[in-house]
Amino acid sequence: MAEQLSPLGAAWKPGRHNVTGAAPGVVLTETRPGSIVQVAAWPGDEKAVIDAIRAVAGLKLPDGAGGGIATEHKAAFGFAPGKFMVVTQVEGIEAELLKAIPITVGTVTGLSHGRTALRVSGPKAEWVLAKLYAIDFALPAFPLHAGRSTMHHDVFTQIQRTGADQFDLYVFRSFARSFWTTLCHAAEEVGYEVR
Amino acid sequence: MSPRRTNAPGRVDRARSIRFSFDGKIFAGHPGDTLASALMANGVTLFGRSFKYHRPRGVLTAGVDEPNALVTLIRGDVREPNLPATQVEIYEGLEAVSQNRFPSLSFDVGAVNQLGGKLLGAGFYYKTFMGPVIGPLKGTRFWMFCEHFIRRAAGLGRAGTAKDTARYERMNAFCDVLVVGSGPAGLKAAREAAGDGGRVILLEMDPLFGGSARWSGGRIEGTDAAHWVEETVSGLRELPNVRLLSRTAAWGYYDGNTIAATERVADHKREAAKGEPRQRHWVIRAKKVVLATGAFERPIVFAGNDRPGVMLASAAARYASDFSVLPGERIAVFANNDSAYANAALLREAGATIVAIVDMRAAISEDARRLASECGGELLTGHAVVATEGGKGLTGFKVQKFDAATGSLTGDPRVISADLLAVSGGWSPAIHLASQAGAGKAEWDATLQAFLPPKPAQDWTAVGTAAGDFSGGHGLDVAPAPVFEIRAGGKAFVDFQHDVTADDVRLAHREGFVSVEHLKRYTTLGMATDQGKTSNVPGLAIMAEALGKPIPEVGTTRFRAPFSPVSIGAIGAERIGDLRPDRLTPMHDWHVGQGAKMYPAGLWHRPAIYGAPGETVEQAYIRETKATRSAAGIVDVSTLGKIMVQGPDAAEFLDRVYTNLFSTLPINKARYGLMLREDGFAYDDGTTWRLAEHDFLMTTTTANAGKVMQNLEYFLDVYWPDMKVTLTSVTDEWAGASIAGPRARDILASVVAGTAVDNETLPFMGIVRGEVAGVPVMICRLSFSGELAYEVYSGAGHGQQVWDALIEAGQPFGLVPYGLEALGTMRIEKGHVTGAEIDGRTTARDLYLDWMLSKKKPFVGSAMMDREGLVDENRIRLVGLVSLDGRPLNGGAHLVEHNDPTALRDSIGHITAVCFSPSLGKYIGLALVKGGKKRHGTRAYVSDPLRGRFGPVEIVSHHMFDPEGKRMHG
Amino acid sequence: MLITCPYCGPRDLAEFTYQGDANRARPDPASTDQAAWNVYTYDRVNTLGDHAEYWQHSGGCRAHLKMVRSTLTHAISSVEFVRPHPGHKPSSRRKPGAAP
Ligand SMILES: [Zn+2]
Repeated sequence: MAEQLSPLGAAWKPGRHNVTGAAPGVVLTETRPGSIVQVAAWPGDEKAVIDAIRAVAGLKLPDGAGGGIATEHKAAFGFAPGKFMVVTQVEGIEAELLKAIPITVGTVTGLSHGRTALRVSGPKAEWVLAKLYAIDFALPAFPLHAGRSTMHHDVFTQIQRTGADQFDLYVFRSFARSFWTTLCHAAEEVGYEVR
Repeated sequence: MSPRRTNAPGRVDRARSIRFSFDGKIFAGHPGDTLASALMANGVTLFGRSFKYHRPRGVLTAGVDEPNALVTLIRGDVREPNLPATQVEIYEGLEAVSQNRFPSLSFDVGAVNQLGGKLLGAGFYYKTFMGPVIGPLKGTRFWMFCEHFIRRAAGLGRAGTAKDTARYERMNAFCDVLVVGSGPAGLKAAREAAGDGGRVILLEMDPLFGGSARWSGGRIEGTDAAHWVEETVSGLRELPNVRLLSRTAAWGYYDGNTIAATERVADHKREAAKGEPRQRHWVIRAKKVVLATGAFERPIVFAGNDRPGVMLASAAARYASDFSVLPGERIAVFANNDSAYANAALLREAGATIVAIVDMRAAISEDARRLASECGGELLTGHAVVATEGGKGLTGFKVQKFDAATGSLTGDPRVISADLLAVSGGWSPAIHLASQAGAGKAEWDATLQAFLPPKPAQDWTAVGTAAGDFSGGHGLDVAPAPVFEIRAGGKAFVDFQHDVTADDVRLAHREGFVSVEHLKRYTTLGMATDQGKTSNVPGLAIMAEALGKPIPEVGTTRFRAPFSPVSIGAIGAERIGDLRPDRLTPMHDWHVGQGAKMYPAGLWHRPAIYGAPGETVEQAYIRETKATRSAAGIVDVSTLGKIMVQGPDAAEFLDRVYTNLFSTLPINKARYGLMLREDGFAYDDGTTWRLAEHDFLMTTTTANAGKVMQNLEYFLDVYWPDMKVTLTSVTDEWAGASIAGPRARDILASVVAGTAVDNETLPFMGIVRGEVAGVPVMICRLSFSGELAYEVYSGAGHGQQVWDALIEAGQPFGLVPYGLEALGTMRIEKGHVTGAEIDGRTTARDLYLDWMLSKKKPFVGSAMMDREGLVDENRIRLVGLVSLDGRPLNGGAHLVEHNDPTALRDSIGHITAVCFSPSLGKYIGLALVKGGKKRHGTRAYVSDPLRGRFGPVEIVSHHMFDPEGKRMHG
Repeated sequence: MLITCPYCGPRDLAEFTYQGDANRARPDPASTDQAAWNVYTYDRVNTLGDHAEYWQHSGGCRAHLKMVRSTLTHAISSVEFVRPHPGHKPSSRRKPGAAP
């Protein structure tokens, strides 16, 4: 299938920006996963949906609000009551989830085009993100692999912590370029590299 | 004699020099200097002219409470006014100018105001300039005459007009314990909280931590205070759970234990580093807050107390001990409490001669007496200063015998010569933040003669001097004699910055102001940029005396944020100059590349026209419309709101929220739907596509997408929680291209693979799936333009590829891209409604959409839509208009029946949308007029006096073009 | 103001949208009782003190919450999901300050 075009356009400027030391404060990337899928369970059917995600994607979601799991090539996290994001590098996971989750249990909604995945990693990741979001990024408050739904002004964002100093952000595609520009601006203080 | 630099140790690094300018003159200072300390070290005592009377003013304090020494800083074209020189750290090349003087600081024309003192008393502006206009130069008219001169003469610094180019940022922080203030009490609190393992943030306004303990001597925990500070701070620095922020003023205490603070990140630098903000706006959410905000020394109100050379005793001592600047050579002290004796000792230690200590109390403590004798000089207990002498600097002052109990002055005044008078009128705990987050009023402490923090309404505790605990430090008793004013005639200032005198306060009382809140507003006491830090309690005491009531009964005003001035930039943070994010469609770059004139639609950017060189907007949309109606046009409709409605109850859900039925909609068919509000008025419209048994794709208007989504979620969560429906915003998932015109089908047939698009396969409102350029697409045949039209949806990431393929395929057929103007023109010709007509005041019937109101089921709004007032035939209802004078119409213009351009009455409705109709060759419009249809074929007049437009129109059906819809059904 | 969303935890007011008085009862959809619809649509209590109201966590999990908030102090005495989520378990958020 034709490759998706990035919404970032000319705002994506690979390379190092204002990096004075040996390493940048943060590395910013557009991860471009093949599939971004929202799965919703009817109240009471969360367990069945979590099991289906495990069966299809091999991702074992922990119980509890905002619980998540991530490996190198795929991830899943809860972002709202009974709602989960499943993200994989490969395309086509949506069709498999549809097969595994009957309408009596929940719904599957493809968002592979509608959400843009941006990764912020590096020692200053928490610092840069704290400029934009009013949530607590410290590890005890935002544990590894957990998910959060929040916003930067008008830009609704789902965030998963995929490393001690790594966060994956999912923003609406139409806002992605504007938000990316804001993110780069916020990262300039600590020096950043776009990969 | 003037102030001078000493060799005393302190914060100033004399090994390095910094050059800066004040009023164009070049001076040298050192790292660690504030503008105030550096100028004083250069012998400068005159810093500004006062607000109303243009009296010369010097430095009163050494900190954020400074009312007098305000300056304007100039960075390039940017001016920042009203900065206390005591807060400005100097940097190489700093450029500061004094304020409120004309033509120069030392010779000021406005100083003549001092002679006409009575003229500018309390409420002067209100009395002179408000009220009825009687006679040529009275009241409001007089104000208009004088305003220019007064605005120039009175007031503070002038703001610049250049755009602020500095960077500002916001930072969200969370902690277990937030400590505000880093004096000994704050440091101890931070150390203790850090020991408990919690996350701790410590804020300090000053560049250095430690407060007065760094320079005022004394011992803490058995060691030298300055050394203790150093040890404690470096201990805290090593802890990973502690964040220390200097140059950070906490200025607001908000709900949820949220503190707002401004960090001056680069204000002390010549230039911020690349990417570094000038200031950082901290929003800190703390589980617990410790307010160690310290206390402010108060001046004493006496005649001439504003003369340069009269300074707070603690400030004088701090200049000497902390900044290595001796503020005077021959120093006298005037006090009502013991703390000033310790400061006198520090001044003497720094090399000054203490000529006299004037204490209004008859009896003083042993400690004070001992310190006085160590200082040398005369000790005059039971005395008070009654006047000061000198021009732009103090040369001496007069004292008289004083009875603190009665306030009476006796005996002959005696002159004492001195170049600095260090004053202490007692101490006021800095309860500003506590007051903002307090339950009830601040509590009056009769011993301290000061307000203590109120009971907390949030999770905070006050410690140290902020809580009225002065037992640390030098250990002297700070309890003052309860005297705030020496009444000996002459101008005695309470609020230095707003030039409010004790007599002004009494005048306000005589004029009937009894509430402290009214007094404050009438006299403007405490309303200047310093927020009355030095004037609040003395002003209140004088008011209380005038009222004959004790101070606690008069009460204090509640302190409000901000505690200290905050730049608007810091609050705007990253949004300065870029107030809103941009929402771009997948084809945005293509539109811009084609020279489209982009138009903001909410946050979206949409092409208004694709103008050819030399074309006007009207020419462009007429060309685009004609091409679409004669061949084909393509428009980007990706901005339409799109909501996936999924689940076993999805169809039922739609039946409830739409006025018409959707449960009967076959799979792969679309239907136009209308939503009402609960009150029965029209809300939003759009088409909804049934993609599968349990999957519907709802479209909304671009403008209402967010609101409709919220409204649907509200109904689902609040009223129908048992329905199994998932709502997901998929606006951004799909790119949409609408291709319209007689050749639209031919174009699609030539480019779409995997499906036919003929009338049989793809009838009106049908949906098919296929491929364009190897990309999966979904095509729905529906029309807004009135032409044979199709909406081609693809994944947003493929939108540009599909668009390119459609443009290329359309070339042989004369396809043109069109923008919002042409889109609007075609919908007006067709009489399709948008937000201009669904304006929140129209009903479905008003818009002739009653055919959409199902009688088979209740729906949102169905119970309220038939109310008497909503079904009245004479409501304003939708019609078409044709301009009869060949001139354009204006949206918003009124319609009248009479042909009288001068009569501004009897509106029968208004115009909602206008265009030139290429199809009719006339200027046309849509309007809402009384009676609607009944007026078809009648004449009316547009009346738009504001824009000078009056002329005849014909009222016609809103279906002005192809009323039978042959074209789109073809 | 901070609102503690049962799903997301304490969040800034800016993430929430006020969605109206939670004291009103929507009549049966098929009801034609104009008086009842009128009360539902227009009549509002103007409480001094504790007030039941709907808020949506629009900048977060988007759930509608029913809260009791004091109109006098902004103190929020209870927050719960409007739509029941029987499967909901609060996150196993560690205590702030605890070692990661
Ligand atoms: Zn939430």
